[in-house]
Amino acid sequence: MSNATVIYNEHVGGPFFRMALRWKGRGFRPGQFVMVRVSGALDPLLRRPFGIYDVLGGRKGIEILYKVVGRGTGMLSELDPGDRVDVLGPLGNGFPMVRDPGSLVMVAGGIGVAPFFWLAKGMAGKGRRPVLLYGARTKEEVRLVRPFRAVGVRVRVTTEDGSVGSRGLVTDLLDRELVEGRTVYACGPLGMLMAVSEAARRRGVKCLVSLERAMACGIGVCLGCAVKTRPHPQEQKHYSMVCSDGPVFASEEIDWDSF
Amino acid sequence: MGRTSFSMTASGKVALGVDIGGLKLKNPVMTASGTFGYGIEFSPYMDLNRLGAVVVKGLSLRPRDGNPAPRTIETPCGMLNAIGLQNVGVEAFIDEKLPLLRRFSTRVVANIFGETVREYSEVARRLDGARGVDAVEINISCPNVKKGGMVFGTDPVEASKVVRAVRKATGLHVMTKLSPNVTDIKVMVKAVQDAGTDSISLVNTITGMAVDVEARRAVLATTVGGLSGPAIRPVALRMVWEAAQVARVPIVGVGGIVTARDALEFIIAGATAVQVGTANFLEPDSAVKVIDGIEDYMKRHGIRDVNEIVGSLKTPGPRANPTGSAR
Ligand SMILES: Cc1cc2nc3c(=O)[nH]c(=O)nc-3n(C[C@H](O)[C@H](O)[C@H](O)COP(=O)(O)OP(=O)(O)OC[C@H]3O[C@@H](n4cnc5c(N)ncnc54)[C@H](O)[C@@H]3O)c2cc1C
Ligand SMILES: Cc1cc2nc3c(=O)[nH]c(=O)nc-3n(C[C@H](O)[C@H](O)[C@H](O)COP(=O)(O)O)c2cc1C
Ligand code: FES
Repeated sequence: MSNATVIYNEHVGGPFFRMALRWKGRGFRPGQFVMVRVSGALDPLLRRPFGIYDVLGGRKGIEILYKVVGRGTGMLSELDPGDRVDVLGPLGNGFPMVRDPGSLVMVAGGIGVAPFFWLAKGMAGKGRRPVLLYGARTKEEVRLVRPFRAVGVRVRVTTEDGSVGSRGLVTDLLDRELVEGRTVYACGPLGMLMAVSEAARRRGVKCLVSLERAMACGIGVCLGCAVKTRPHPQEQKHYSMVCSDGPVFASEEIDWDSF
Repeated sequence: MGRTSFSMTASGKVALGVDIGGLKLKNPVMTASGTFGYGIEFSPYMDLNRLGAVVVKGLSLRPRDGNPAPRTIETPCGMLNAIGLQNVGVEAFIDEKLPLLRRFSTRVVANIFGETVREYSEVARRLDGARGVDAVEINISCPNVKKGGMVFGTDPVEASKVVRAVRKATGLHVMTKLSPNVTDIKVMVKAVQDAGTDSISLVNTITGMAVDVEARRAVLATTVGGLSGPAIRPVALRMVWEAAQVARVPIVGVGGIVTARDALEFIIAGATAVQVGTANFLEPDSAVKVIDGIEDYMKRHGIRDVNEIVGSLKTPGPRANPTGSAR
């Protein structure tokens, strides 16, 4: 019923928490996620999906970075070290590795930074620095990029009111970074993902997006987390599953008009 | 105490095998259609050989895309789904999925549906010769396009047409899965058994909906969906019990089963076997835990054969109120 133990559950400001779990998961890739059963009770019933934020030294377990938005995440935030939860994973496809870290442009909004940290950490110090463009709405969100700076990522922050970093939207920063040979990885609110995809398409730059959908199973069997995709030439398939075909998709695969 | 100590064999083994109208299962626990994919997806999480049977995702004549998103939403102790019967189609199932499933010693039940009586019988006919399929389960909770979208599963006449057509199209065991969205389940039970079904499973999901009050919109893209999970268990149990009163064929109980205790409720109320559905999303090996739990229960109560408890519900004593009304 429960296969993981809370090592710490640190409040990092505002609605954000960073939780370390001792857990015997294997074979992680950056950008993958886990399904966490917050309690053994039947309400809330379903597991909750969270990106893998970091992998603990010695592969003792993982960290997740989460935002309290409802009942499940609220219950998670009340757990103490030693408490038990159940973790299913790692799940999903994850981000492919890029050869030259300097060619990677990560774009995130809000809690969407979570699936990038382990990826960024793995690339830091291996040649040129990757960049993270981050759109924040609150000062607590701004704080979420500190660990990225600490591992050597070049971080650019925008806020809508200009209180931190530059003023405007994350896509305003993007134009300068969209040069040939670069790859964009994006995760965040839907509006941001659409704008980033469109900008990348116009400039002919490859763009991958990590999507969110309500999930019941997380393993591709309930067919609940469907997203409309452009049919592959051979397969007559019009929907893909975010949990098992994604959560990372090439942006041109997604039928953005379907949202 | 006498009975308990007396009935335990030296090895402590209990007999879990059941026979549902000619379909023999090593134990009474199956997985419910649409909650277990094509079975193979679960092999990393459990030993599929343990299961009484795997019921695969509903199959249609041609592949189907399913409904627009959002397709699911959690509700108190349950969930709503409007998947729209997305599936690979019966041919791809036979060619691509079945060879992988055949490697396990577990019975395979193919859940089928169509939008016309002919489609139902055509899917059944294709499965008839497929090596590795042991039974078809007819999902009649599907709109009949020829009859203006009315659901087969709520009309006893239409339901019996489907069952008769499928019966004719295949020599496989025919299980018919009833919808709970009817006033009197006994009418449906009689209709499908007169039409020749070998067994009856119930219930499918109960229709329901949820509203996003901020946006004042239905949460599901289709507005209405099907409710499943522990929230529906008492309703499902009542219907299984009612069905068992009038059925001449074995009953398979479905709806909100998470633990062995839940499964035993259905068995005691008259189900010869059960299906575990939504619980597979909570713990992928839920069905195996249910099997182990039934075995423990039998040992605890000195029951040698699970068939002894099927329909063993004690009739109300003199103090019970037979009308069930409040006073
Ligand atoms: C692949 C993936 C990775 C994710 N990674 C993270 C992460 O690293 N950190 C983080 O804070 N959040 C992440 N999320 C979002 C997170 O799963 C939801 O915020 C969480 O499920 C909300 O649960 P709740 O009970 O607090 O909210 P409620 O609103 O009470 O939840 C009700 C139901 O809706 C679902 N739901 C609500 N919001 C979302 C959402 N945004 N995405 C998917 N399902 C949702 C819940 O799972 C639940 O089934 C991720 C989502 C996905 C799909
Ligand atoms: C996501 C989902 C998909 C389903 N798909 C099918 C299906 O294809 N055919 C079918 O007969 N029943 C389908 N069902 C109904 C289940 O098999 C079962 O009858 C119902 O969920 C009640 O059982 P439960 O509460 O244990 O889940 C589906 C249920 C869910 C939750
Ligand atoms: S969550 Fe079930 S298929 Fe993706």
